[in-house]
Amino acid sequence: MSAVLEARDLVAGYGGLTVLREVSVSVDPSEVVVVLGANGAGKSTLLSALSGQLPLTGGQLLVDGTPVRNARPDVMLAKGVSLVPQGRGTLTGLSVMDNLRLGAVTRKDKAEVGTDIDRWFTVFPRLAERRDQVAGTLSGGEQQMLAVARAMMSRPRLLLCDEISLGLAPVVVQELFVTLAEVNRELGTALLLVEQNAELALEIASRVYLLEVGEVGASGSAESFRDDNSIRAAYLGY
Amino acid sequence: MDIFLSRLFAGTTSGAVYVLIALCLVMVFRSSSTINFAQGEFALFTSYVTWWLAGKGVNIWLAVVPAILIGFLMGALAERWLVRPVRKRDETAVLIVGLALFTGLNGLSGWIWGSDEKPFPRMLPTGEDTYIDIAGARLHYDTILIVAIMAAVVAGLTLFFNKTSIGLQMRAVATNPDSAALCGVRVGRVLTLSWGMSAAVGALAGPLLVPLVPPGQLGLSSMFPVLIFATAAALLGGLDSIKGAVVGGLALGIGLAMVNGYVTFLGGSMSLTSALVVIVAVLLVKPTGLFGARRLERV
Repeated sequence: MSAVLEARDLVAGYGGLTVLREVSVSVDPSEVVVVLGANGAGKSTLLSALSGQLPLTGGQLLVDGTPVRNARPDVMLAKGVSLVPQGRGTLTGLSVMDNLRLGAVTRKDKAEVGTDIDRWFTVFPRLAERRDQVAGTLSGGEQQMLAVARAMMSRPRLLLCDEISLGLAPVVVQELFVTLAEVNRELGTALLLVEQNAELALEIASRVYLLEVGEVGASGSAESFRDDNSIRAAYLGY
Repeated sequence: MDIFLSRLFAGTTSGAVYVLIALCLVMVFRSSSTINFAQGEFALFTSYVTWWLAGKGVNIWLAVVPAILIGFLMGALAERWLVRPVRKRDETAVLIVGLALFTGLNGLSGWIWGSDEKPFPRMLPTGEDTYIDIAGARLHYDTILIVAIMAAVVAGLTLFFNKTSIGLQMRAVATNPDSAALCGVRVGRVLTLSWGMSAAVGALAGPLLVPLVPPGQLGLSSMFPVLIFATAAALLGGLDSIKGAVVGGLALGIGLAMVNGYVTFLGGSMSLTSALVVIVAVLLVKPTGLFGARRLERV
């Protein structure tokens, strides 16, 4: 069985600045993987590259073992890779409903889109209450819920989450992680989480990559990272 | 009272014309954050096409149809092959391309059809007794019809933006192109379509407005004042708002008719100046306009 998404020796950056130097990561179907690393390690850049937002200067992306040429966001989305970008990826000028509908524009089965919207309204009842409200007027937590639901509307096989806990109250973060774990368990969606909140992420992840200034410093099972005090102290700082 | 009403009707007529062209500017600005200075010249070129076909004996209402298709293609091709290649480099370059298109299309129209003024067949009925008498003022049928056509275009666009998937994608690109791309929207295709639709609406508006705007004939400079008025109207309403284009256009048309009518020492020739005053005032006082969300940052 090949990985849903595999990155081989990715090189990417901004202008003349190379941020990722030959980074290789992979996510198997229905797996939960977390990428940990300090500020500036290249975590967000990695997710930008994986989602097709950032053009690669080297290496390649493989979906189901097949190399992806011309990786653009719409191409990656069509192949089942969806990103929840950092800082709430909602369209702030559109209503909650429109955001969810927009998440499904790549889908062919228009009839089932309504069913999916109802499902996410059950998962996040607060979004249902605010369905006609403009996304920009939602609270930070609600916007992040909407960003997750919107990204899930394309029925991805792999959900990339960039710092989903950033700037949110601990209760809300806890709630979001419970939802993510459920999504993984019930829908079989693989997750690739980039997190600074290492403790929570390690609870639901099975594998870990440590990113250090643009390179994979270490990787292994989440268990070994949880249990190894020296790794915790050195990399995670708690 | 009857003089006031006459001025109100005249202002509404020109206001409806400004609304139609302002809508074109708004459609482009929403998706690309640029004012397309060539918008008027797109409409000029397609008006010549309509005029030429009408001269061949085609019914004017039928002659507009191919002009709309040509307009759509011109807008779409201009976005895809002229605007997009330079967009990556520089925002100013996009404006320069707009100006180049402006002069280029004007020159092309003159080269093909000559620079003399063309008597333009009317799409809307006109004549001695084509009006309704309201309190002594004449409400002409063409006023009623152009307002009705404007209302139909606005209603059609509103339905399109709110009820169709591609309309939703256009609104998404207008809000945030990067987030829209992450939702799987093919941003480039949406931009091409927006430019095409905008020029298509312009192609419908052109033949309607030529007989209504002095001197009532089609000439190479027919669209320039209309573009200035429409820009003022779009800015007044907020460049990214359809509602704004409607309110801004009608307010400008009626406002100028009143100013010209009552502030007689200015004289009619000051309309264009008044429109420019509106542009400067909006940019200084409220750059987002009445209903807009985004301000114009570069002109």
